Amino acid sequence: MYQALLTRRYLTSKIMPLLSAAAVMLCVAMVLIVWSVMGGFLNMLLSSGKQLMGDVSIAWPIYGIAHYEQLIDDLEASPKVDRATPTIEALGLLKLPTDEPRQVQVIGIDPEGFNAVTGYVDRLYWKRRAKPLPGDTHGEDPRLKLPAGFEAYGKTLSYPDPARNQDLPAVVTGLEVSRFYERTRAGYVVSVLGRILPSFEVTITVAPISQGGSVVDTSSQSFVVANEFRTGLYEIDANQVLMPIDVLQEMLQLEEQSIPDPNWAPGQVEFDADGVPHPVVAKTVGVKPARATNILVNGAKGVSPQQLEVEVRGIYETWAQRYAERGARQGVPEPERIQIFTWENKPGLRTFIQAVKKETALVLVLFMIISLVAVVLILAIFWSMVSEKTKDIGILRAVGASRAGVAWLFLRYGLVIGVLGSLVGGGLAFVIVRNINPIHEWMGRALGLVIWDPQVYYFTRIPNQVEPSKAAIVMISGAVCAMLGALIPAARAAWMDPVKALRFE
Amino acid sequence: MTQTAAQPEANAPARDDAPIIEAKEVFKTYRLGRVDVPVLRGASLSAREGECVAVLGASGSGKSTLLHLLGGLDRADRQPIDVDAANHVAHRGRSIDGFSAHELDQYRRSTVGFVFQFYHLLPELTVLQNVLIAAMVLHGRVGYMGRSAALRERATQLLDRFGLAHRLKHRPVELSGGERQRVAIARALINQPELLLADEPTGNLDQKTGGSILDAMMALRSETKQTMVIVTHDQSTAARADRVVRLVDGKVAR
Repeated sequence: MYQALLTRRYLTSKIMPLLSAAAVMLCVAMVLIVWSVMGGFLNMLLSSGKQLMGDVSIAWPIYGIAHYEQLIDDLEASPKVDRATPTIEALGLLKLPTDEPRQVQVIGIDPEGFNAVTGYVDRLYWKRRAKPLPGDTHGEDPRLKLPAGFEAYGKTLSYPDPARNQDLPAVVTGLEVSRFYERTRAGYVVSVLGRILPSFEVTITVAPISQGGSVVDTSSQSFVVANEFRTGLYEIDANQVLMPIDVLQEMLQLEEQSIPDPNWAPGQVEFDADGVPHPVVAKTVGVKPARATNILVNGAKGVSPQQLEVEVRGIYETWAQRYAERGARQGVPEPERIQIFTWENKPGLRTFIQAVKKETALVLVLFMIISLVAVVLILAIFWSMVSEKTKDIGILRAVGASRAGVAWLFLRYGLVIGVLGSLVGGGLAFVIVRNINPIHEWMGRALGLVIWDPQVYYFTRIPNQVEPSKAAIVMISGAVCAMLGALIPAARAAWMDPVKALRFE
Repeated sequence: MTQTAAQPEANAPARDDAPIIEAKEVFKTYRLGRVDVPVLRGASLSAREGECVAVLGASGSGKSTLLHLLGGLDRADRQPIDVDAANHVAHRGRSIDGFSAHELDQYRRSTVGFVFQFYHLLPELTVLQNVLIAAMVLHGRVGYMGRSAALRERATQLLDRFGLAHRLKHRPVELSGGERQRVAIARALINQPELLLADEPTGNLDQKTGGSILDAMMALRSETKQTMVIVTHDQSTAARADRVVRLVDGKVAR
């Protein structure tokens, strides 16, 4: 009882406890901000790593997998598989309407299947928006003026050609590919072309690779941009271009092709029954099947990517046995050579995720070590306070307070300071994290300081979510640390000789 | 053996004429740096129920130390086996030297009320809170909450008795020396202890104020029949007691 009264009085009558609470507050805020941003970054990376990919991918780059339709049928026959779709990935060159070139990753997709596996239609950026964003006070967002159903072109990867009265193949580019937009509180506003990229024509150049692994030729084709997509993952948004798989197959010479009779040569002549010569028409001795470099697979509900990976591998082995005589060069790689991986283990991404996990842990440990300084600071402040309150301790002991009671007075005092500091620090961290993007933008404008570079951190926005569980852990730790800081001074107070304490000057 | 010899007396029931508090042949030595400074050298003192005993002595004679031993704030030195086995401080015939820390805390909070020369009030608390703090320590959170109204009433009455009814919400720093000492006496009395130990209660006050403080203490004692031990170096203060004991060089002068 007396501890509560004295704690209240000590708190409101001295500056030192407020300094201790400020130290706790700063440490709690610091750790929570770092953990929220870095942890949020990791979470975004993990969730975004799956974007435009599906749960599991079968990959055989450059040469591609033949008979992939059968493989997809086999996969989709499994109850563990929800959907599978073929894609082709190739390096390419994109020439923008301003004639600027961009090196891009061209991905050929079957729009319907690709959307079923990845839900990419949801990521099409240019869709009519009924209401402006909260920060768009002047209605600058171009989406406000788009016609309803504009995203339909992006869904089908086609664009109407009024001259020919038919739909032509079109492409969908990542929103950061062109670098034509300025990111503002009104969303992405046009700054280069005067209007958005869709409906402009771009040229894509790719290089077909021969069976021997050398570049055969280059293939260029112009397309209208049907829409742009935004995943939020800068690496994807700044590099990927989607186009119809059949068009890309043709450009890369991966489409279905007839195999001519090897004995046929141009200029050969044959005579009919009347002895009239005719040029020998090339005979086909077989068909070279179309190929896809990747098969993206989505698991059925309740099937983890790891379980799906095992299932896919089994199905692939069975499928590959059917074409065992063909070999890798013929588009049927041996099971031990084929690349099958979950989205988390996608080459490049896995190393990066591990690096970010370790970096997050490292930064947290560093900040926790710094936070120990607060514990020492509280220890020093409480040590000084116990010295200052020596006479009070003597008085309390004289009226019968026990050693434990006196110790609890200071421990409780430390705990209250810790709780206060933690609550304020937690609140401060919440406000900062929630507004970290505007704060960062302001720092960029006012101080020229850009800490979060999307080209380094992959994402265009800094993570701004505070997880309640993390906040609880940090705040409870802050309060406990404050109490730990008060532990030694409390013990000192408890073991003080009451007679000496009363005589203390 | 000292401890063994003390036991029969410690467990013996108190007789009507038996002292309520007794220090018998107690020793206390303090260590100052590397030097042992003997303060009490076999001092003895006893007080019967309702008696007021003054301990008169010069500065450094060991008066305050004797008072601390009587009040359980400090413990007497343990004597070697071959010295008189009877030395101890006893309350109602029970040696408090053998009390556990918990028993000693309980003894201080329920049996003893201290009044100090320099008041020793808690500067952050109001006058009323300074008085009630002893009750809070005695009853604990639950006990105090159950009795808070009655205890506040008693504290207010005590302070009113000392002419401090208008000062309840004042801090000690806003009071005069005499007023502070009255608050300290009210704090010592709030738990109605059977033993009031006053260490130079008027030593820091002018004669008139000191006199009025003593008047108030004596008036209360006559009502409550409390046992009182007053340590003083002032003859006139000592003269107000029922009995005066002189302490010289750590011993009671014959």
